[in-house]
Amino acid sequence: MPLMTRQLVLPVHRTVPWGTVGAAGAAGLLLAALTRAGETAEGLSLYLLRAAVLAFAVGLAFLLDDPARHTTAAVPTPRPVRIGLRVALAVPAAAAWWTVALLLVPPGVRPPVGDITLEAAAAVVLAVTGAAAAVRFSEVTRPGLPVAVGLLATAVLALLFWPGRWALFVPVEDERWAAAHDRWAVLLAGAVVLGVVCAVEPVRRRIRL
Amino acid sequence: MTTLVEKPAVSGTRNEPGGAFKAVLALTLFESRRLLTRIPVLLAFTVYIGWTVWRAGRAWGDYPALQDADRATQGAPMLVGLAVLLSVNQAALRSRRHGTERHFAVLVLPHWCRTVAHALSVAAAALVTAVCVAGQFGREAMRPGAIGQGSVAELLVGPLTVLLFGLAGLLVAGLVRSALVAPLLVVLFLFLFLFFSGLDYGGRWLLPAVEEATSNTLPSDLMGRPAAWHALYLAGLALLLGLVAVLVAGGRKPAVFAGAAGALALTLVGGVAQSAGDSPELVKARERATVHPEQVQSCVRRDGSTYCAFPEWGPRVGDWAAVVDRVRSLAGGSAHEQDVVVRQRVDARYGLSGDAALDPLKRPHEVTVGTQWGGNRVPEFSAAVAGVLIAGDEKAATSICDGRIVPLMWLAVGWESDPLDALRRVRLNDTVTGSDSVLQPTNGLYMTEAQTEVLRALLDLPRAEAGARVEDRWDELTAPKITAARAAGLLGLPAPEGEDKCLS
Amino acid sequence: MTPTVSASGLSLRYGGTRALDEVSLRLTAGVTGLLGPNGAGKTTLLRVLATALPADQGAFTVLGHDPATARGRQEVRRRLGYLPQTPGFHPDFTAFEFVDYVAILKEITDRGARHREVRRVLDEVGLADVRGKRIRKLSGGMRQRVALAAALAGDPGFLVLDEPTVGLDPEQRMRFREMIAGAGEGRTVLLSTHQTEDVAMLCHRVIVMAGGRVRFEGTPAELTARAAGRVWSSTERDSGARAGWRTGTGSFRNVGDPPAGADLLEPTLEDGYLLTLDDAGAEVTA
Repeated sequence: MPLMTRQLVLPVHRTVPWGTVGAAGAAGLLLAALTRAGETAEGLSLYLLRAAVLAFAVGLAFLLDDPARHTTAAVPTPRPVRIGLRVALAVPAAAAWWTVALLLVPPGVRPPVGDITLEAAAAVVLAVTGAAAAVRFSEVTRPGLPVAVGLLATAVLALLFWPGRWALFVPVEDERWAAAHDRWAVLLAGAVVLGVVCAVEPVRRRIRL
Repeated sequence: MTTLVEKPAVSGTRNEPGGAFKAVLALTLFESRRLLTRIPVLLAFTVYIGWTVWRAGRAWGDYPALQDADRATQGAPMLVGLAVLLSVNQAALRSRRHGTERHFAVLVLPHWCRTVAHALSVAAAALVTAVCVAGQFGREAMRPGAIGQGSVAELLVGPLTVLLFGLAGLLVAGLVRSALVAPLLVVLFLFLFLFFSGLDYGGRWLLPAVEEATSNTLPSDLMGRPAAWHALYLAGLALLLGLVAVLVAGGRKPAVFAGAAGALALTLVGGVAQSAGDSPELVKARERATVHPEQVQSCVRRDGSTYCAFPEWGPRVGDWAAVVDRVRSLAGGSAHEQDVVVRQRVDARYGLSGDAALDPLKRPHEVTVGTQWGGNRVPEFSAAVAGVLIAGDEKAATSICDGRIVPLMWLAVGWESDPLDALRRVRLNDTVTGSDSVLQPTNGLYMTEAQTEVLRALLDLPRAEAGARVEDRWDELTAPKITAARAAGLLGLPAPEGEDKCLS
Repeated sequence: MTPTVSASGLSLRYGGTRALDEVSLRLTAGVTGLLGPNGAGKTTLLRVLATALPADQGAFTVLGHDPATARGRQEVRRRLGYLPQTPGFHPDFTAFEFVDYVAILKEITDRGARHREVRRVLDEVGLADVRGKRIRKLSGGMRQRVALAAALAGDPGFLVLDEPTVGLDPEQRMRFREMIAGAGEGRTVLLSTHQTEDVAMLCHRVIVMAGGRVRFEGTPAELTARAAGRVWSSTERDSGARAGWRTGTGSFRNVGDPPAGADLLEPTLEDGYLLTLDDAGAEVTA
């Protein structure tokens, strides 16, 4: 298995839609770079960084797009390995992107790095989990677009209607910041678990009556 | 396996007059139906309508000023606009995504006609938004307490936002044939909006909906919002995007070029005109309305009192008179019969962004009323009337710092059906115990803990009993320099234990 | 002959439709044809047998392994070649890269051996000349052959082919028949198709499906024999015929229940197939 995984790295790397992920990353960096556009912009650094994360997450929703999905549906290499490899390839790219995005924000107005990284990780993992769920529960070869739209809708609705007692999108100076980031951690953990569950290919079909 | 041979419903070759036009129309209907039933669009409309209905119950209360209510229709359609942007972009890329482009390319209707149909389907979504906006505004306008007048140009902003966003999505589909771009554009729009709406200069008028930072209500002729120019700018920009999308799709007809040039001209005219700033006439008119409101107001007399209001607020005189009447009925001595002059005032000098406090009036028995009504504004005005009845003029009333506050506040809230609730609403920190500030249309008052205790004890008495005790001792109660303890003694109430020291 | 694939009671529902309804079958080495109209459940059955889709009910084994467990499914997949109805490709890959990619996914990890195998299967499908070309530059028929090569990689014991000859020109179809016949030597091939000639020429057994059920299972000769005495010629359209058409010679060829003294013709496999479907349809309506 390890040998096979090593040999798969290059072909899988070529099946990953890097163009899409890269374009989204570039848009995200553009948003992050806006924090250097003046004093008002500095005041908005947290929001711009969140927007940058959302843009990048939208790109990562396309990570599991695989036009050859049906051709490779019945190979012995299990789906978790195939999905896991794509995700593993994306992780260093995402880490590098996030580092650049953080460095683009002037140090004086940079939100607490650990906490904002937690938010970013949760958003990005949610996007990929959404794609994994789409692959798990449907036959589509390219779940990216619907998942991206779903992610955006979720983000907008959460911004508008997320109940205040479980606030997630709080400003840095808010006293609920720490509690909100506990919730982000729970969200991240939940998304990871859900993603792992969705990556597994079911042996039996749930009987629908 | 039996084969029935039917005659074809349409013969092989047709030559109908206006065929292309009718085909675009038919395609428009088809695309509109599809666009309006996409999940993001349905979701956005549901949230938009739900949100609007839910908020209508609380935002303006029963006394909306229509020149504010029109602006309140502008923000929420942006959500619909973003959903339409996404969906129309997807629809325009549909045939490419599913590989039917090569097939459609040989059909009678050229590609750019399909783009026109998509553009018109966006217009249909804008039309639905317009119906929603009309419903929202109409509901406000139908309220019995509504005053002022809305601006059609302000009401157009919502539908035009949807049109603009949708056509932007269509144009982007023609320029970049990737499904990723529309979601990214939504993120960018969302946050660029946030980014620019935080800036307070002419540039903010380039955004679709321009919010105002404060809730100052001005007479509609003093608003100074270039709403008509802004609507022209938005319409021109939307038209430009739509026509460029048609050009990009291959509809390179002279008429389309001319239309695009015209749309560009409209956009520029609107864009330049809307950022011109306040005209000298407007500045002068605002100055006059602020400093010499009597020059633009008309006055009416009710039961001896005079009510002077800006022309649009004429219907509100009855509400004010009812409050004055009730406050006076609780007062004793000469105050019971005292006529007052109610003067409507507003500081319009800084436009809608101004939040300057009004100075108290010095003319005897003249009391200020603001431009807003309903909710907390009622007990605030009531307190101001009570102050003028007791102290003689507003300047003196707002510097009261002794036990006279007890009869004053009794007059202010005693007539309400729930005096304690009115007291809570009129106090700055929404308290009913301890010391707190009392809000008024001009300067506020300060209630000490002791005064609050006495007032609470007074309010605990049966209403008729309390009223009788205040009227009996009116002259002593309204004498300057009275302490809270003395007032309590006069009213036959237990002496207060709390602090009785004024702040100022 | 001992069956290499046997299934019993396979059922699968999509919402309210029964895509598979108690399907039982046995496949032996050689090419088995799967005939049926659109929507008969052919693709669903193939996807279930290829372990791409779990069934709601029923069980099956492939080469002695039961795919109802993760381990069993793994073993089945190691012995499986699958050509889906609409194979997808990564258009930027060359034909060689794509088959190589699938071969790695089939756990052929020895680089040299794998490359030899990829070259072999590409030769087998006649793509030796274009293996360095990007898939986006290949014609539809060539792409189909790339997909077949990917299915053949690793010498699977069970080959599932879902309408591989759709959209091919007669010459290409001939080549495909050749390839499939070659592949059927010593392995089990299940071939879904609309082409009765494919079945007549290639298959040693044939299964007819309609409405999610198996309506016929036997040899092509047996299917043809179903139409014996039920095909006749006449000079006029015969109202009693289930189907009839004017042939090139000017007389009508009728399929159905012939009138007494009719001029009977030699039936073909297609006649047998049509009558089987028609009987199945009559059964459903009854």
